[in-house]
Amino acid sequence: MTARVGIVGIGQIKFGNLSEYDLVDIMAYTATDALIDAGILEDRRIIDQIFVANMLGGMINHQTGIASALVSRLDLEPTAAELVENGPASGASAVKLGYMAIASGMANVVMVVGGETMRKVTGWEATDCVATLGHPEAEYDMGLTFPALGGMFARLYMERYGVTERDLALVAVKDHENGSKNKYAHIDGTCTIEAIHDSPNAHVVNNYVAEPLRLFSVCPVSDGAAVLILVNMDSPIVEKFKKKPIRIAGIGSATDTHCMHNRKDPVEMGAVKLSAERAYAMAEVKPEDISFAELHDPFVILELAISEEVGLFPRGKAVEALRRGETGIDGRLPINTSGGLKAKGHPVGATGVSQVVELVRQLRGKAEKGRQVKDPRYGMSVNFGGLANNVITIICAKD
Amino acid sequence: MIDFSIYDKQEPKIYGYKCPKCGTAYYPATMLCAKCSNRRDPSGIVHPDWDKFSLEGPCKLLTWTRVWALPEGYDRPYLLFGIVEFPNGLRAAGQLETENPVTGMDLVAHVKESSERPGPPVNVFVFSDD
Amino acid sequence: MAIDALEMKLRPPEIQLNPYPSKTITLANGKTMVVREAKREECGVLLGTVYPLLGVPTDYYDVVAARMFSELLAWFRYRIANEFVIVGAIDGVIAGIVTSRCVNDHLGMSLHTLAIDRGLRVGAQLFAAKMEHHIDYLNEDEVWIVAESPIGFRRWMIEYELEDRSSGFPNIRHELGGVPTYALTRKLWEKHKADKCTGTRPVPANILATADRLKMPEEYPQILGYKRSKQ
Repeated sequence: MTARVGIVGIGQIKFGNLSEYDLVDIMAYTATDALIDAGILEDRRIIDQIFVANMLGGMINHQTGIASALVSRLDLEPTAAELVENGPASGASAVKLGYMAIASGMANVVMVVGGETMRKVTGWEATDCVATLGHPEAEYDMGLTFPALGGMFARLYMERYGVTERDLALVAVKDHENGSKNKYAHIDGTCTIEAIHDSPNAHVVNNYVAEPLRLFSVCPVSDGAAVLILVNMDSPIVEKFKKKPIRIAGIGSATDTHCMHNRKDPVEMGAVKLSAERAYAMAEVKPEDISFAELHDPFVILELAISEEVGLFPRGKAVEALRRGETGIDGRLPINTSGGLKAKGHPVGATGVSQVVELVRQLRGKAEKGRQVKDPRYGMSVNFGGLANNVITIICAKD
Repeated sequence: MIDFSIYDKQEPKIYGYKCPKCGTAYYPATMLCAKCSNRRDPSGIVHPDWDKFSLEGPCKLLTWTRVWALPEGYDRPYLLFGIVEFPNGLRAAGQLETENPVTGMDLVAHVKESSERPGPPVNVFVFSDD
Repeated sequence: MAIDALEMKLRPPEIQLNPYPSKTITLANGKTMVVREAKREECGVLLGTVYPLLGVPTDYYDVVAARMFSELLAWFRYRIANEFVIVGAIDGVIAGIVTSRCVNDHLGMSLHTLAIDRGLRVGAQLFAAKMEHHIDYLNEDEVWIVAESPIGFRRWMIEYELEDRSSGFPNIRHELGGVPTYALTRKLWEKHKADKCTGTRPVPANILATADRLKMPEEYPQILGYKRSKQ
């Protein structure tokens, strides 16, 4: 019988340009917020295990062994600590490993910290670093970057299901509407459909990045950190925490071919479907039970595609739900209530953890006014470690 | 015996690999055959390396994009990329040299050596009209 | 009279430049930016807008601000030949400023581009407006351009496919210094302007009126915690 795992503390720093600060300092600062939220700042040594999620620290910050560095920054010796790297799914992987540590009985309190500082280099260098996720000869050497892969995916999906550029703009408008109310989001401003699509200026204001994806179809390059404190809900130690745990009900993960072109049908994301099925099975819920979702959208097309793969909408029908407003904050199934990666930002190592922070904020009923989901019961996050080749789905529940 | 041909000027090639046991073709190279679990040893010393064959020639365009935000090292306003399928069923990603790409069009795959990426030169697919 | 005569000696000879026709651009957040030529008597608010950025080293704001400050002052004091200044204003608040000058009938010398509002492509739009004025309204054949920041370099040199004239050094040398000089020719402008330059003309009187009295920004995204009213 494995232990139940709940989240009793959260922390997040406002995503954006934090390049003048040290990566591990940013992580430690955010972790301090989480320790305070959990009420264990003075008693922080009850943490048995730390998992740190980071993808590009070695490449961009010339820093390795980041988990070890963080332990000392927080005066947390001799707590066990390891770094987790799974591309942009490092965050969700760290949550999964934290869950496994508690469920297995090896730990009772785990801190999961995700962080990244990508803006210490130019956008083009950051794009190049992220491109190393691709196959070295068959993708990276060709000059392919993730926006290029996203553009090719978008073209296939849009041609097959009749999604238009205006639909992509609608996703951005929704995401920024939510993000503008999220105190942790990178982008504060909103955008209008008129400005980014309908007006005669729009093709310049919202220029192409990787056709058919435009500036407002792709996420910004961000710095940031997010932290969770996990606890064994079946241990007496849970009484130490002042806030009622938000239970991690299900986790599923799966992989697919490394090269996007080797998928049987490059528009279908088998790893997304399988990871969601595994998470639903573990949580004993169905797609209809999900109240809201945080879906990995570095390119807004993925919000639509993922929502179908995880069974929230029939294939090809997510765009109709978008057009009807069903995925807006007041809709039937709010998606990316935080603003998604599009408006919240995407410090790659932090993203998966920040998605779960959002699940907790919503399930606690503590999201900002104007972006609180009404009576949520189950929240779902989907985090990608590449372009759908390594996917982790997490479901949290308000019991 | 020394293979002196390695000092000759090499035409850039990109290779597919064929499992010697069951004949299944792969691009890029794998280390275990999905069909028969036969292993590949790139050194060819302990176990056999696999036969390789040049990937080039006629192909069909499955999808494409024009990328305006290029990574470090590329000093051009944009680059066209595409994913193609060869008649043998293998697929590949590479650069497109056709001004009006349309999904489903017939193209020809060539290989060129490129120094645009930081680091040593690499072989790159170029899919063009002819 | 003697002072006036001396003053006239110190001023450079001036070409009567065609005015830049104002336009509006709808920015991504739905707000309207009025893009118009600035007048010398507005120099005070322009200098005040630039001044706080003198202390911001990130993204080379300090160098650009310092040089633009001197260009604006020189323009105001008639100590620079044939300079023009274009501003972008949202509800009258300055969002960005560009400076440039006309060397002769054929050649423009692009000086600086300073965007205060970030994330809305204000800098890109105002740079395009500057080029639009040089080539479409002042009828010059080409404009010489240099960049201080890598972002500026990338945006302009690569996106506009500017011609590299650095091999012509020192005969071809941008007056901002001995840096690599690039040129936007009429041919390159015609090729790229549809994707780079936009705007609606004429500007309705009520919208133009919002930019009649330019205001300095209260906050700067580049300077965390700065509030003009609290300085």
